[in-house]
Amino acid sequence: MKVNQNCVGCGQCVAYCPYDAIIVFGRAGMNEKCVECGVCVDYCPVCAIAEE
Amino acid sequence: MKAAIIGAGLGGLLAGAKLSKSGYDVEIFERLPFIGGRFTNLDYKGFKLSTGALHMIPHGSRGPLAQMLREVGADVKIRDSNPMAVIMKDTGETIAFHDFRKGLSLTKRVKLGTILACSLKFKPKSNISFKDWILKYFDDDFLLKLADSFCGWALSLQAKDVPAREMLEIIDNMYRFKGSGVPVGGCGVVTGALADVIKSNGGRIHTLSCVEKIITDNNRAKGISANGKTIATDIVISDIGHLETSRMFECGDEVYLEKIKKVTPSKGIKMCLSSDEPLLGHSGVFFTPYAERINGINEVTNADPTLAPPAKHLIMSHQAVISDDLNQEINLGLLDLKKLFPGKKYEVLLIQSYSNGWPVNRASSGSDIGNRTPLCNLYVVGDGAKGKGGIEVEGVALGVRNAMKDIGV
Repeated sequence: MKVNQNCVGCGQCVAYCPYDAIIVFGRAGMNEKCVECGVCVDYCPVCAIAEE
Repeated sequence: MKAAIIGAGLGGLLAGAKLSKSGYDVEIFERLPFIGGRFTNLDYKGFKLSTGALHMIPHGSRGPLAQMLREVGADVKIRDSNPMAVIMKDTGETIAFHDFRKGLSLTKRVKLGTILACSLKFKPKSNISFKDWILKYFDDDFLLKLADSFCGWALSLQAKDVPAREMLEIIDNMYRFKGSGVPVGGCGVVTGALADVIKSNGGRIHTLSCVEKIITDNNRAKGISANGKTIATDIVISDIGHLETSRMFECGDEVYLEKIKKVTPSKGIKMCLSSDEPLLGHSGVFFTPYAERINGINEVTNADPTLAPPAKHLIMSHQAVISDDLNQEINLGLLDLKKLFPGKKYEVLLIQSYSNGWPVNRASSGSDIGNRTPLCNLYVVGDGAKGKGGIEVEGVALGVRNAMKDIGV
């Protein structure tokens, strides 16, 4: 998944990620557990996540 | 009469509950997969964290939000905090919030009492900031730090960025409605209960539903277009702030467009901590005027243990964002926590920051411009159109109340 500049770091995606694959510290980033399932996309309030 | 509501955050849901109770056919469109916006629970590692605001109602069971919840019949239990708030002094000792004057000299105490009484009655008409207002009368480091701590905690702003008249309205409301409370079950219970009210009144709430535009006719909103479908309505309520709303129709009102350009969002950082032992031991606000960045902390599990797994505590700190370096701001906040709780064991569960498109408040306190728009039947509610003197969700409730009065319900 790709995170764009809209990300503010609210962490909503972290809680909804089924794979514990997102880390947030000022902005979100995916770790190696990410399987590109795309669940996070809809939960982002600022449309900051897109599939690569 | 039909009302379409854009956004199912607290403002949209409060308006929806009020309108549906008054006989309106209410239809709410929410872009996200869930309702509640920045005022609902976020389940994480067995804890009930929150999407935005803390699990807190600033004026508890007596405030404007609680009043409105009762009015519409939303079933929410609010546990008022006792103590309401404490302040950590530079010595490390804590004092009750109401005793903040005790550290001042007798002369300053008398002066503060007189000036406050006088200013609450005759609020400044100028744009003087709360910080400058304090400096006008007092040269006192503690008062300035306390002002920053309070403004940071309650409004995500520094005292220099809050107009004194708005802060005095807030102080007025603190005397009127008193202190904070915790909604039992977390803030999601509030928005959930409002959704139940709307549905029981025959209203509908659609999630994953995007409103593309507001259809107008002669300075009136005729309807909306959602997910490609046109829906005719008598009234449109927008819970997404003035700026985003103005982009949904062809707005030719230059004065309005200029006004909304001046509305600035507020930025903040919330840190969610877990601990086996209580770090505070009560559910009131713990103001930290001498911390580098953190403005205040609360430990909601003292009011509602179900917000954390058994034998765990949930602690949330809040800080306004001061510089442009968000990483640095977070690191300074983490350092504050270490200094505030030396030797205590806690785990940082999640660090959540809010700014720009997903801010603490779409309109920082004092920059709200009311609920009306150039379209006579289009109103903006929510954190982008709060009422005077309303802290966070109380401001949302006051704003909705004003809009509903205008509509006549």
